[in-house]
Amino acid sequence: MLQAIDLSKRYEDGILALDALNLEIKEGEVFCLLGANGAGKTTTINLFLDFIEPSGGQAMINGIDATKDPLEAKKHVSFVSENVMLYGNFTARQNLDFFAKLGGKRNLSKEDYYMHMREVGLQEEAFEKKLKTFSKGMRQKVGLTIAIIKDAPNILLDEPTTGLDPKAASELLQILFQQKKLGKSILMCTHDIFRAKAIADRVGIMKEGRLVMVRTREELLEDDLEKIYMAYMQEMIITGQ
Amino acid sequence: MIWHIAKKDFLLNIISARFMVGCALCLLIIPFTILTNIEDYKNQVRLYEIDRTTAETRLKETKVYSGLRPVIVRPPNPLTIFCNGINGNVGNKVKINFGDIPALTEGKASLRDNPFLNSFFSIDFINILSILISLLALIFSYDLFTREREEGTMKLSLSKGISRTQFLLGKISGVLLTLLPILILCYLLSILIIVLSKGISIGGENWINLLLIFGFSIIFMLLFVLMGAFISSRTKHSSTSIVVNLLCWIWFIFLVPNLATFISESYVRVQLYDNVEYAVKELNQEYNNIFHNEIGPEIDKELNMTNRSWWNMNGGYDGYMETSGTAKEVMEYERRLKAQGEPLRIDYADKKWAIVKDHMDGFSRQNRLQNILLCLSPSGLFEMVSAALCRSNEKAFLDFMEDVREYRETLIRHFELNMWFESYRYITAQPVDQFVSYEEQRAIAQSGNIPDCWSNNNNPVLDLEGVPMFDYKTEGVLSSLNQVLIKMILLLVVCILLSFLILWSFNQYDVR
Repeated sequence: MLQAIDLSKRYEDGILALDALNLEIKEGEVFCLLGANGAGKTTTINLFLDFIEPSGGQAMINGIDATKDPLEAKKHVSFVSENVMLYGNFTARQNLDFFAKLGGKRNLSKEDYYMHMREVGLQEEAFEKKLKTFSKGMRQKVGLTIAIIKDAPNILLDEPTTGLDPKAASELLQILFQQKKLGKSILMCTHDIFRAKAIADRVGIMKEGRLVMVRTREELLEDDLEKIYMAYMQEMIITGQ
Repeated sequence: MIWHIAKKDFLLNIISARFMVGCALCLLIIPFTILTNIEDYKNQVRLYEIDRTTAETRLKETKVYSGLRPVIVRPPNPLTIFCNGINGNVGNKVKINFGDIPALTEGKASLRDNPFLNSFFSIDFINILSILISLLALIFSYDLFTREREEGTMKLSLSKGISRTQFLLGKISGVLLTLLPILILCYLLSILIIVLSKGISIGGENWINLLLIFGFSIIFMLLFVLMGAFISSRTKHSSTSIVVNLLCWIWFIFLVPNLATFISESYVRVQLYDNVEYAVKELNQEYNNIFHNEIGPEIDKELNMTNRSWWNMNGGYDGYMETSGTAKEVMEYERRLKAQGEPLRIDYADKKWAIVKDHMDGFSRQNRLQNILLCLSPSGLFEMVSAALCRSNEKAFLDFMEDVREYRETLIRHFELNMWFESYRYITAQPVDQFVSYEEQRAIAQSGNIPDCWSNNNNPVLDLEGVPMFDYKTEGVLSSLNQVLIKMILLLVVCILLSFLILWSFNQYDVR
């Protein structure tokens, strides 16, 4: 379970990136955070991962404060970033092996890695190929495999579909669906309202560091998410932000 | 976890282009340097053998005590193949004279310029290694964090529940694991070439010194890795990091050592050698005046000399005189002249030494300041430590010169104890019972029946048994270690401080 309690972040230059965010993502729930650049989406993820210190509030992972006990908290979370570069001179399997071991999975065999790569739809011939020859979609799949192998109860995704073609993006969503079914709490920050609508149990829109709107899947059946989102964006354009 | 990150970095590094280039550079430059230095060392050995044999032969052929002027030849040290130190600035032999206390060796050395100020562009193993290893260390560490940050792998790694300290130690260990084989390769390659070269034996304690140099090389390499890591932890982009790293490298490797030499020469003024030369010349003049205008005429008067001619005489300005067949009145005159003149010559040598020593002390002060300033440069420290362990630094040379001066004193004491200055053997190898008066000399000369002993060549050589000989002493490992221990500790302390600095800096590093 992921929880943000009055979570705030003000940077040294005075910019308030996150303003008292309150959020709870339950087991088996996918929460998508939408918002323009600088709305505070990535800041939220960075706070959950203890990459930055909060100015106030708490980021809790399975009830553990990510700031007070970051190492313990991070044992319960997997992370997929926007640009999964990984180590280009390592093969996909070598990358998996390295990050799996970092995540505490030390006894996995070559076959285990192959199995996980098959699960995310990577072709067999790619398993032992250097990552620098991979397309962005393929790298993103490897990144997702890394997250899956850790088998943590929570997954944080920072704009995972950016730059992916529609097929690759839809494959990625399929994998996330499987993870949701396994009871994982998933927080996905994205600009992609269509994918968000397709996968999210709840969608939140962030603006100037505040969570200004939250809609459930059921509510979104009646509301037009695209219109709501665009209305917020329009408001920003009018106010000159 | 640390090992896991180190292994990953090691594997990535060894397949990188920079590793290949680094290895290729070492494989090309190190053998070339070592072969050049081996050739140089062999030439030194050949020269040493010639000089030593010549000196021994001349000593064995000496017939009079005034000719007993041993030449001390300093044997070359095989470790200079690794670090030549100041050896290129100084010669290797010293002639023991009673008229002068030796300050420097004969040959390349000159009192005009300070031979103890080391230059940092000599092509020796240590110089080349310090340039190569420091450059490689920075090249492998300049993007230690920036690259991981740029490629997003740092975020991914740190999201896995490892601490920043573990990550940092893993990364630094990875670079050290990569560089260590290169360093070992450089040393092994050099040793292999030396071992395969004919006529070079490292021998005994030198191996321990080499091992100490190797150990110091690791600390030196670690320092540059930490420096690169620190700069990487203070910059966001690899491009910025490499520029800062290269500037630091140029500063520490090239600028500081040369600035140290420049500052020490400019700040510590040594009087002009022309002044020293003039003062020494004046003392020589003074001695000659006393010798020729006071002692000589006085003895002349005492002996009531009317005629002062030699039959067969060789001599020189250094007090050497060898005569045979000369009339016993002249022999007595010369004996007395030497008996009074030689101790005076020794006294004047002491006076001249006071002037020269003052000049030399100036050099030593310059050298001390240079050594202090060199502590600001890791390569300067590395060079100083290596030169000390290879016994090619100024201290080894000055210790040798001190031994030579002590030997000269011992020899003088031996002459005095045995009253050789007052003996006829100081000036002639002709037996005293065969000395003849003026009249007898004239009669024999007219008869044409010249005795063999009237020729210097026919007289017996000196029996050198009991004459003190120079004993060349080399420093033991403990003494060398004692010299370098503080510098080694200094570099280690800098490494430890830098490690804490990196830890503090990396804990603040923005991984986003």
